[in-house]
Amino acid sequence: MRFRLVFLLLALAISGAARSQSLVVFAAASLKNALDDVAAMSPSKPAISYAASSALAKQIESGAPAQVFISADLDWMDYLDRKKLIREGTRRNLLGNKLVLIAPADSAVKADIGPGFPLAKLLGGGRLATADPASVPAGKYTKSALEKLGAWDPVSGRLAPADNVRAALLLVARGEAPLGTVYATDAAIETKVRVVAVFPDGLHPPIVYPAALTASAPPSGAAADFLSLLSSPAARKRFEKYGFTPLN
Amino acid sequence: MFDALTLSELEAVRLSLKVACASVVASLPFGFALAWLLARRQFPGKSLLDAAVHLPLVLPPVVIGYLLLVLFGRRGPAGQWLDETFGVVFAFRWTGAALACALMGLPLLVRAIRQSLEAIDRRMESAAATLGAGRLWVLASVTIPLSLPGIVTGMLLSFARSLGEFGATITFVSNIPGETQTLPLAIYTYTQVPGGDPQAMRLCLFSVLLSLAALLASEFIVRRAHLRVFGDAH
Amino acid sequence: MRIEIDVERKLESFQLKAAFSCDAAVTALFGRSGCGKSTLLNLIAGLLRPERGRIAIGDRVLFDSASGTDLLPEKRRVGYVFQEGLLLPHLSVRQNLLYGRFFTPPQERWADFDRIVALLDLAPLLERRPRHLSGGEKQRVALGRALLASPRLLLMDEPLASLDAGRRGEILYYIERLRDEVRVPIVYVSHEIEEVVRLAGHMVLLSDGRVAASGEVHDLMGRIELRDLIGRHEGGAVIEAKVAAQDLDSGLARLAFTGGELLVADVDALVGESLRIRVRARDVSIALERPRDISILNCFAGRIAEIGTEPGSSVDVRIDIAGTPILARITRHSAARLHLAAGQEVWALVKAVSFDRQSVGYA
Repeated sequence: MRFRLVFLLLALAISGAARSQSLVVFAAASLKNALDDVAAMSPSKPAISYAASSALAKQIESGAPAQVFISADLDWMDYLDRKKLIREGTRRNLLGNKLVLIAPADSAVKADIGPGFPLAKLLGGGRLATADPASVPAGKYTKSALEKLGAWDPVSGRLAPADNVRAALLLVARGEAPLGTVYATDAAIETKVRVVAVFPDGLHPPIVYPAALTASAPPSGAAADFLSLLSSPAARKRFEKYGFTPLN
Repeated sequence: MFDALTLSELEAVRLSLKVACASVVASLPFGFALAWLLARRQFPGKSLLDAAVHLPLVLPPVVIGYLLLVLFGRRGPAGQWLDETFGVVFAFRWTGAALACALMGLPLLVRAIRQSLEAIDRRMESAAATLGAGRLWVLASVTIPLSLPGIVTGMLLSFARSLGEFGATITFVSNIPGETQTLPLAIYTYTQVPGGDPQAMRLCLFSVLLSLAALLASEFIVRRAHLRVFGDAH
Repeated sequence: MRIEIDVERKLESFQLKAAFSCDAAVTALFGRSGCGKSTLLNLIAGLLRPERGRIAIGDRVLFDSASGTDLLPEKRRVGYVFQEGLLLPHLSVRQNLLYGRFFTPPQERWADFDRIVALLDLAPLLERRPRHLSGGEKQRVALGRALLASPRLLLMDEPLASLDAGRRGEILYYIERLRDEVRVPIVYVSHEIEEVVRLAGHMVLLSDGRVAASGEVHDLMGRIELRDLIGRHEGGAVIEAKVAAQDLDSGLARLAFTGGELLVADVDALVGESLRIRVRARDVSIALERPRDISILNCFAGRIAEIGTEPGSSVDVRIDIAGTPILARITRHSAARLHLAAGQEVWALVKAVSFDRQSVGYA
């Protein structure tokens, strides 16, 4: 009798798991709050995994069962495209963003981002919290911008390279680092940081969030529907609310 | 180019060993004290302490990293006090990586020591007392020598755990080459960079060899300790 | 050195409430298992604390609830020999022996290493580890270790209990040597009466945590009312005697005591040596007339001093033989048949072969 009960429970659990083989979306960490909000509008309840775009791309390359991928830069989408891991014709540029310099909310530091930007001096003895410049989009944009300003060399040894942009945000929010670079949208949702300055557009490649179906996703179905939803007017309004720039 | 890469890889290995050794040495007195309390004393809240010691085994390492940030970061209560009193800083330093490893390895250390303490016939300690040994002398000349195999086992387990520590470290002190980029973090970084797979693979091999060496050494050392203490091999 | 004990402590099944005082080379604490003997030792050693009371050795007060004195075990200078030896396994025999000496202030060290090693024949064992010692060897090392801490009092908790019969005699011999050659008072716990008879001068009889009797060994052994506590099969008078003569042909020794001469077979002693003999009550018979043509060699004339009154099929009779009491255990039926009564003159008969090695103690 006991055995039968256990079997029944197991069967229910397995079937439940099978049924919840719903939509899996991989999205850049900076999309967390906004995308959750948008996903709530979707009839399918997608399971969204947020991490650095680099980490996600590598996981998809290793066979992760994601069906939709939203990256925070073009490089990582190109990377998967080259490896034929993206469904042809589904790729589109979804959103834009800005890079900002932040400080803890109680910090009084002032700065203007331009040539001769004294970042090293502003840091004092502390470190600049940023997503890993070697791989994570937010870090790459930062490095690109600082190199253009001639401010990269003095600070390259004074970084606190974080796993993803939200981890960098955390370090500044906790006052661990006196300064950090994150997206404007990240700064907007975190009350414990304040924006010191915005990085002018030309200093780094345009911040573009491309979205696409992965090669393992069927051309039509829940995944495709979700992708369309992301570009819908309703969704664009939501993204705008968080500070993203919807693209065409 | 090849040389430079190998140099930074060696840096990661060196840092991992330094961090692991420091974490074991620093956590040993606390680990022993906790194990002794749990093995020998009854007090209200004992099961709570026992559970707390085991938390790093069951909590996600990122959670531990976050808690470390809150408590031992620049603005954390413990972090500030330690900085003011001893000038010890954990933020973004290898000491922070060592702290993360020490915490993650603590349950293993405490468990092993506790087991060997509980196996000691307490009347040995009574006998030593009747021979004139005060409490501290009994601890040093009877309790610790007799629990040595357990202590060594705990240290080696904690060391091995430290070699593989990732989540707490990267959350607490981020991924700074030469300072906090231990072997697991270095391997992770190489996997995230396009074309970094060969380096990642090379470091993985390092890692496996290092762990094997640590495990083999531990077998040897524990057996020697047992022989020394008890006069036989088991 | 005078030992004064007066302690109270609650145990699992009863309340230990013991008070006695004595001044002997060896004081035995005797009683059935679980009567509180070992607990009493632990209280003296300081491993347990009494709820109230006073413990003093000579002029040193170890515990006094009235004045708040409570010396830590390491400060009491009370040596302890445990039943299982409890040698430190990670040290050699030599290191074990010297362990206590290390903690003894130099001015209080009276125990000499070479002397104790010679006394206990430990020389061949010195570099061994406890793991490779036999039970008897372990106990000898335990004795030596406790002595080398120069204690003022030595406690022994049934040190022979975990040894086999052959070893027991050997260790008993060493303890006797210890008693005779080293001036440390000993408190000896046992539930075997022959050990007590052989070793002790003073005996404290414990029962359910209370002192039932306290006094000289031969005195307590002669008291009928204590026979149940002492053990129904082993009770009997203890006689102090001196070897008057040894006959090599017959193997019999003549032991002189106040009541006459006792003939005993196979006594391992020289003429002139003092002995203590336990005459088991069950080996003593009573006759109304001196028997003739009988194999029993020991016949003593005496007067019945007391007849026991406990119920049962057997009865103890205490016979006074010119000042020395002897107990005889006979059936109640026989006592009635012979119309035995106090004051009656009778003959006590004891077979020479009824004495064995365990009955003879060397004083």
